[in-house]
Amino acid sequence: MIRTLLRLTSARVALVLLAIIAVVAVLGPVLAPYDPLKGGAQTLAGPSAKHWLGTDYIGRDVLSRILAGAPLSIVSTLEVAGIALALGTIPGILSVYLGSVFEWLSLRVVDTFIALPFLVFAVAMTALLGNGITQAMIVVGMLLAPVFYRVSRAATMSVARSQYVEAAAIAGASTTWIVRSHVWSKVLPSIAVTLANTLGIGLVVISSLTFLGIGIQPPTPTWGGILASDLGYLAQKPYAPVFPTLLILAAVLACNLLADAIRDAAGETGRALTGAKTARSNRTRRLAASADPSRS
Amino acid sequence: MSAPPSALTAPPAARRGVVAHRIGRAVASTARLLAIFVPVFLLGTFLTYLLGHLSGRSPAYLQLGDAASPQAVAAIEHKWGLDRPFLVQYGDWLGSVLHGDLGTSWYNGLSVAHALGQRAAITLSAAGVALVLGIVFGFLLGALAAHFHTRWPDRAITTFTTVISVLPPFIVGIGLAAVFAVGLQILPAAGYVPIQAGLGPWLSHLILPAIALSFDTAADVARQLRNGLVSAYRGNYVTGAIVRGLGPRRIFFVHVLRNGIAPALAVLGLKFPNLLGGAVIIEAIFGLSGYGVYASQAAVRGDVPAVQGVLVVSVVLVVVFNLLVNIVLNRVTPDADRGV
Repeated sequence: MIRTLLRLTSARVALVLLAIIAVVAVLGPVLAPYDPLKGGAQTLAGPSAKHWLGTDYIGRDVLSRILAGAPLSIVSTLEVAGIALALGTIPGILSVYLGSVFEWLSLRVVDTFIALPFLVFAVAMTALLGNGITQAMIVVGMLLAPVFYRVSRAATMSVARSQYVEAAAIAGASTTWIVRSHVWSKVLPSIAVTLANTLGIGLVVISSLTFLGIGIQPPTPTWGGILASDLGYLAQKPYAPVFPTLLILAAVLACNLLADAIRDAAGETGRALTGAKTARSNRTRRLAASADPSRS
Repeated sequence: MSAPPSALTAPPAARRGVVAHRIGRAVASTARLLAIFVPVFLLGTFLTYLLGHLSGRSPAYLQLGDAASPQAVAAIEHKWGLDRPFLVQYGDWLGSVLHGDLGTSWYNGLSVAHALGQRAAITLSAAGVALVLGIVFGFLLGALAAHFHTRWPDRAITTFTTVISVLPPFIVGIGLAAVFAVGLQILPAAGYVPIQAGLGPWLSHLILPAIALSFDTAADVARQLRNGLVSAYRGNYVTGAIVRGLGPRRIFFVHVLRNGIAPALAVLGLKFPNLLGGAVIIEAIFGLSGYGVYASQAAVRGDVPAVQGVLVVSVVLVVVFNLLVNIVLNRVTPDADRGV
């Protein structure tokens, strides 16, 4: 599947964008030309040779702040997605196998999380738990977990009813073995698609929270926090929000492109992962069909 | 909308049967929805209450500061009934919530229900205008895309909806404020004017936040409606209607729209929590002091009853809105009449 994925232009674009963002996140604080917390005499200056992206309302270098804020924004997004993945996928697969009581209970919990207004709840829970970045990540991860639950449950149910799984069960295979060798490979592509989407959503949610000053308070630089301080000085510097916005949008776009590319590469059945020759030829045919716009 | 021919031509007794059947259907589907939402409401409130309890926040620290003596803290906690067992507190709180009493704020001792009532107009106008914009533009774009299915307007609309659906509301909000309020200076950047002051000023303060909120809803409604209409046009009854010589407008409104609208309406019910949630951040951008700002301020202060009040009200709003969507779905779609 990975080789098919790399053949898609959209996947390549997405991976290049994500690689750039990863480099920025890892090397950002080192590359920052100035101290992101130290103000200067020049306030709200426009872009110049000295300050590439200008300075903010107390003279801090904007480029340095964006670079220094990258690790917090990116790493917390990754952790949010990881928490959501673990909290959603495992109960999702287990709900098919662990009997009706667990199934009913977990479905009600998931319904509840989906019906709740997401941001209101995230803001309230984070602040009540002590308003720190760890709390924010746990809360957002928990609130995003239902998507993984539903996706993995749906994929597991479609496998669990298939004939080859029945055959394996009749042949005496244990549930653990079936989950590991049949269910897992089928669930994986859907999970990968959801994970890529969740990374995009997670970044937006984390930026929204930091924009509100929840999770991380100023002056610690984050992309959301930079946007919030730019908002107060729109009249003097109306183009200031463009830089953090472009970074956030590029990251979200890359995640969405990657999700679509994985969906295309894996196919709806998820067979591509098995690497069978027929599956590969089916996939090529499908890709050719989707590349032909007259048939869409 | 005309009633199905069977109800018009059938003898009175059979017709009464049809009516009773329809009422039964509506009651049954409402009951099914309640069966989902009553546990959701209980679980949601229980979680919020548990969270407030686990947070270890107490009105004592809000009123006395961190240096309070243990006796003073215990006295205040006793006054608020916080020294009782957790489940007793929750039951007590739930009972008063059902009577419409959301308790009093730890921060200023004012009634939470009263504070929320004052702010309801702001949040509900912003979310309401956003909802109207989302429905109008979603339906227009979706119907246009379905009408020009596979031709260039369809592709243009599909691309457009894909792009706007990935734009986060707070980025759209900042962009709109920068362009229309600060750059062109044709609309106010912040604040709220009650509707009593005139429709024009009211709408001019709300239109930017509402547009920022509506993008996501409009995009999803348009996509669902397009797919619903395209598959409804493939139905045999549409071919039948064309053969019977009905005009395209009649076919669209009576046959296709009523059958193809269901997914779009359903997604509207799902999008409503997002509208309320998005309001938190949009209100902060546009300086509207609605539920969202109240919730985030209360949350940062550790004012647990106020936060719980906002959560309860938003869960109730979501439930009510979904019930309304369900009723409309039952009225509009012909499948519901047939009891499918």
